[in-house]
Amino acid sequence: MTLPAWTESDRLAALKSYDILDSEREPAFDDVTRLIARLCEAPIAVINLIDAERQWFKSEVGLGVRETPLETSFCRHALLERERLVVPDTREDPRFADNPLVCGVDGLRFYAGVLLKTADGLPLGTLCVIDTQPRPEGLTPLQSDALDVLSRQVMNLLELRRALTAGRKAEGGVIAAAAALAESEAKFRVLADSMPQMVWSTLPDGLHDYYNARWYEFTGAPAGSTDGEGWNDMFHPEDQDRAWSLWRRSLATGEPYEIEYRLRRADGVYRWTLGRAAPIRNEAGEIIRWFGTCTDIEELKRASDSKDLLSQELSHRIKNIFAVVSALIALSARQFPEAKSFASAVRTRINALARAHEFVRPHTENSRPTVGTMTLHAFLNDLFKPYATLDGRPRVILTGDDAAFDDQAATSVALLFHELATNAAKYGALSATGGEVTLHTRREGDRFILVWEEKGGPAIAGEPERTGFGSTLSTLSVEGQLGGRLERLWAPEGLRVTADLPATALSRRRAAQNVA
Amino acid sequence: MPARILIIEDEALVAMELRFVLEDLGHEVVGIAADAHTARQVVRETEVDLALVDIHLSDGPTGIELGRELAQQQHVTVMFMTANPGMVRNGVAGTIGVLSKPTDEQAVQTAVDYAWSRRQGRPIEYAPPGLQLFA
Repeated sequence: MTLPAWTESDRLAALKSYDILDSEREPAFDDVTRLIARLCEAPIAVINLIDAERQWFKSEVGLGVRETPLETSFCRHALLERERLVVPDTREDPRFADNPLVCGVDGLRFYAGVLLKTADGLPLGTLCVIDTQPRPEGLTPLQSDALDVLSRQVMNLLELRRALTAGRKAEGGVIAAAAALAESEAKFRVLADSMPQMVWSTLPDGLHDYYNARWYEFTGAPAGSTDGEGWNDMFHPEDQDRAWSLWRRSLATGEPYEIEYRLRRADGVYRWTLGRAAPIRNEAGEIIRWFGTCTDIEELKRASDSKDLLSQELSHRIKNIFAVVSALIALSARQFPEAKSFASAVRTRINALARAHEFVRPHTENSRPTVGTMTLHAFLNDLFKPYATLDGRPRVILTGDDAAFDDQAATSVALLFHELATNAAKYGALSATGGEVTLHTRREGDRFILVWEEKGGPAIAGEPERTGFGSTLSTLSVEGQLGGRLERLWAPEGLRVTADLPATALSRRRAAQNVA
Repeated sequence: MPARILIIEDEALVAMELRFVLEDLGHEVVGIAADAHTARQVVRETEVDLALVDIHLSDGPTGIELGRELAQQQHVTVMFMTANPGMVRNGVAGTIGVLSKPTDEQAVQTAVDYAWSRRQGRPIEYAPPGLQLFA
């Protein structure tokens, strides 16, 4: 006995793939059994499929059952290991001793069967005829030939049947997928139409092919009229070019699109709108659609504008209050000539604070005192302007690293350098013609160091015995407010002051944001 | 020769202090106007050499237009004095420049001297450091 070229599990899998076991009777198969039974003049003909533990009959004539158990592997092999098997008398063949189909029923004496084989050579079962009488002469050549031909026909029927089933299943799959798609699209539309925002989508080339109900409701445009490139007309003429070029850029680069523009409402009023869009990509990373939204931000924008306006107005009033306080001090001092120098000192300090405030307060483009960014150097240059020579040459020369600088640091920095400068103007380098100050600022790791160096003033004998309030104010500003160290060196050629600050001290808010 | 100066300022204390400073310097303050209407009236009725103009007046931010008008139509020498110098950063035709408030006597004195000298056609070497000149 040669080993079969197939395994039982492959064979069973193949059988299963025809999805035939336990199916209803079918005329095409019954025709075959009826014909072969007549041709062979046999009382019994069977299309016998061999399952793991049973024989199941797709069609039978004269047997009266659809299946019988198959308990021994021997029988299975006996049936399946040969192309054709003819047993003239079963009682004389030991292989049929245990087969219930043959020996379990009285009087089944003759067996002739041909394998039903797949194209891959896997045997599924047999087409066989059985007689109650032994036939020592076997089948006639015609009968034998008919058995071969019809067994192949049964296989053809099985193949056809499987192909049809697969076709029907595939078709069902397509229909189910289409239904699922339609349902998901319906869901999307319900979702999109119930959103307070306008929702749209475009093809990868940017051509609009969908807008939700809210878009048509807002713009009042007839449905479908803004497909393609018609949307741009809905924008404020001043915003059209900007929106168009940003959108083209997003289409070209795949970067998300975000813009604020004015969109015309149905009543003709332009409303500030936030437009955003993001690309949807397929598995290969190619953009297959763009989905976008338009959100009416008019109220938000107005609130934010009025907030800006309010904060500018407040800031302006604060600045005005500085002017009023300054005037009040001067007016008050008029009655007391002995208080004149005191008043003047207080006044210039207030003025320095006002300058600091002007520099760091919220600004519009119009109110900003200088063009460009508000930096430490820009502020200090402004603060030192009154000490310049008559022809406008600065006498406090700024060098080194510049730094960003915020309102929290502004007052301290203003007071420190106001005191140093007024002091220099009274007693130091700025009190003498040709005297000069250099202020060098540098970033050193996490420190920011400012060095004030006077030269060309009156010679200095040493540290003054009495420190004035101005000096206290400077120390307080640096050590109390900015968290740094202030050192004064009374060198003979001039005062040298070093302020060593944490780098974050000048812009605490920014530092805090960076940490967050 | 003293200048006849009109102060256009809506903060009474600031205006009063300015008046004292100008009078100390020997100038004549011909009036104080808190709004554009009053200012025009003063200029119609009185000879004015210099006007010191705030931008925000009691009738709103009318100072810029008023300053332009006084300079170009009434031939008054106009200098702005404001807490918001950024508002006139780009200059106002016909006017001299802007002095940032709060300021001190020294800055007011040098700026007014400068403006007065220019009006009289006296030679001037340098503009005062506190005064931001318009081109």
